[in-house]
Amino acid sequence: MRASGLTVFIAFFILSCGNRNTVGVGQKVDTGESSVTACRFTIETTGDINTVRILNPWQDTESTELVYYLLPRKMMLPDSLRERTVIRVPVERVVCMSTTHLAMLGALDATGTVVGISGTDLVYDPEIRSLIDSGVIPDVGYENNLDKELIVSLNPDLLIAYGVSPASAEYLRKLSEMGVTVMFDADYLEEHPLARCEWLKVFGLLTGKMEIADSIIGAVSRSYTELADSLKRMVTGRPRVLLGAPWEDVWYVPPSNSFAARLIEDAGGSYLFADLVTPNAVPFSMESVFSRATEAGVWLNPGSAISLGDIRQADYRLAQLPVFESGRVWNNNARVQRSGGNDYWESGVVHPDIILRDMASLLHPELFPGYSPVYYRILQ
Amino acid sequence: MAGRANISVALTFLILGLLLALLFVLDILIGSTRLEASDVFRSLFGQGTAHGEIIVMQFRLPKAVTAVIAGAAMSVSGLLMQTLFRNPLAGPDVLGVSSGAGLGVALMILTLSPVFEFSSLNPLHGWSLIIAACAGAGAVMVIIMAVSARVRDIMTVLIIGILLASAISSVVSLLQYFSNESMLKTYVIWTMGNLGNLSPVQVRVLLAASSTGLIMAFMQVKPLNALLMGETFSRSVGVNMKRTRIALFASASILAGSVTAFCGPLAFIGIAVPHITRLLFSTSDHKVLVPGVILTGATVVLLSDIVSALPGGGHIIPVNTVTSLIGIPVVLWIIAGKNMMGRKI
Repeated sequence: MRASGLTVFIAFFILSCGNRNTVGVGQKVDTGESSVTACRFTIETTGDINTVRILNPWQDTESTELVYYLLPRKMMLPDSLRERTVIRVPVERVVCMSTTHLAMLGALDATGTVVGISGTDLVYDPEIRSLIDSGVIPDVGYENNLDKELIVSLNPDLLIAYGVSPASAEYLRKLSEMGVTVMFDADYLEEHPLARCEWLKVFGLLTGKMEIADSIIGAVSRSYTELADSLKRMVTGRPRVLLGAPWEDVWYVPPSNSFAARLIEDAGGSYLFADLVTPNAVPFSMESVFSRATEAGVWLNPGSAISLGDIRQADYRLAQLPVFESGRVWNNNARVQRSGGNDYWESGVVHPDIILRDMASLLHPELFPGYSPVYYRILQ
Repeated sequence: MAGRANISVALTFLILGLLLALLFVLDILIGSTRLEASDVFRSLFGQGTAHGEIIVMQFRLPKAVTAVIAGAAMSVSGLLMQTLFRNPLAGPDVLGVSSGAGLGVALMILTLSPVFEFSSLNPLHGWSLIIAACAGAGAVMVIIMAVSARVRDIMTVLIIGILLASAISSVVSLLQYFSNESMLKTYVIWTMGNLGNLSPVQVRVLLAASSTGLIMAFMQVKPLNALLMGETFSRSVGVNMKRTRIALFASASILAGSVTAFCGPLAFIGIAVPHITRLLFSTSDHKVLVPGVILTGATVVLLSDIVSALPGGGHIIPVNTVTSLIGIPVVLWIIAGKNMMGRKI
């Protein structure tokens, strides 16, 4: 790949991000050989005040830092924080812009705080779905199409957003001006599955359930690390793994430092594009991905396909790949609601250990006799 | 003099034909993956490696053939519109075909995506987008033809066409405003144009539709030449204006509509290629221009496709950006050069 100077620079920044934050107040998770640290937030505790810093909450930024001061409800507001973003905790009324936020709150048994959701169609959780269907939790719209009046009338303590670009911050600016406290969450930008799960800490602080958060993170990372370590010992051959699907003639290939590629390596597979290191997915031509994909032994996450026929219909040439003919094609949409909500992107964020076990069982079925995957389905 | 002009026209045809053949071979040789030239040629004749044959016969050959058809069809469509409207800025866009097709696709993506969770692979792809684009383009074509049958002045038809295209663009913007990221991505990638995603059956359908449009264009060569002298003159030499208009609209719409449906809206080709061709052949005779535009259009799109694979390392640039970025400076350069010599286009 001919990487431009800028790409190299951004890649360097992303890779160096881990080091930089261990120097700060790193929330280390001991994973045996190496320690994983969520890259995009730090927590600093001074007395009753927790300061949460969100670093680079969107893509292609390198010096954005958002600071939130979490204060107990009854505490007097110190003068020094008058001009700052203060969140009174525990929060009681939350508007969530992403389904991962719902999963985090759900894991902490704080679903009851949710008063509004962006994109209710994408919600999987049956409990929340029934609240949506009965009209208790409204859809607040999305992006530049937010129903700002509705949000204000919900009187939330906090709106948890995620940023794709600085523009995301811009469309929420008006809400802040209208008195809604907005916090950006960057869990989706974390490259390590455990680092994503670690964002539970932020939600633990927000809901006053830090102990539950810590115990979940501890259990999940132990289970993840033990499985990854034992796979490392037991696995003899690593199947080559093809990831994703094309959009028309373009195939956006996730780099080897992405979340999905990391899971493949930990699950005892070998990612086809292990040599590709960039911050974002890179557009490749179908022809070149096809050439490489002939080596693949397993194909994971082919878009939203639910059958091999979907793939054949999208591009007949894909059906000639040896991996397609062997039938080892799996997609992460085993748990999907009729309106489109996929639990992989919801509860999956707090269960990276289950996702890892699923993937390992697909790559090495001989090691998991009788196991049936939770999030994955085989395409037929 | 006439003899010398004929020789120069024949020579231009010969050179263009050779260039087209050369670029066609180059387009198959150069791809985003490395394949030895010998392997490419062996694959063409069924003697290559299994991998080479798939790459050449299912990726590169259909793409090159699509490039030739798309270039020829869009360019002829543009030529017909420029002559009919006697306006150098007219092109297939004037018909609202591109925007109509875009509306069809946008409606499809927005209305059906909640059912299928629209992203890269789903049942909506393949024929469904093509059918949506055809329906959109066809609906706009019918409106324009209905208007053209009632309005006598061709300039009014032109204005109505442009207004209709703007109105449709606004509806598409509105749809985009209400759609989410993955829908937007699907739509935006469609608008970037794509020559390489057609199955052999789709290439055949595109070829059949375009051939129909091209044959209809050849049948209108005489009325087209008469139109250059104005509608009044045309009527005086016995051209049935109503029938000619409908025939030209139908042919241009079939050409642009089928290409847009299969390859997305290919920018610039329809407007620019007729100008390049007129300059190359120094004539306005449609007997020369129609075949000339076919050759030039195919050549330009093939060249764009080759350039789009040049970044190497498996990456490609959307062909639509290449046609505009490379084509527009070329046309500006030609126009500037000719104008300095005191000639108008």
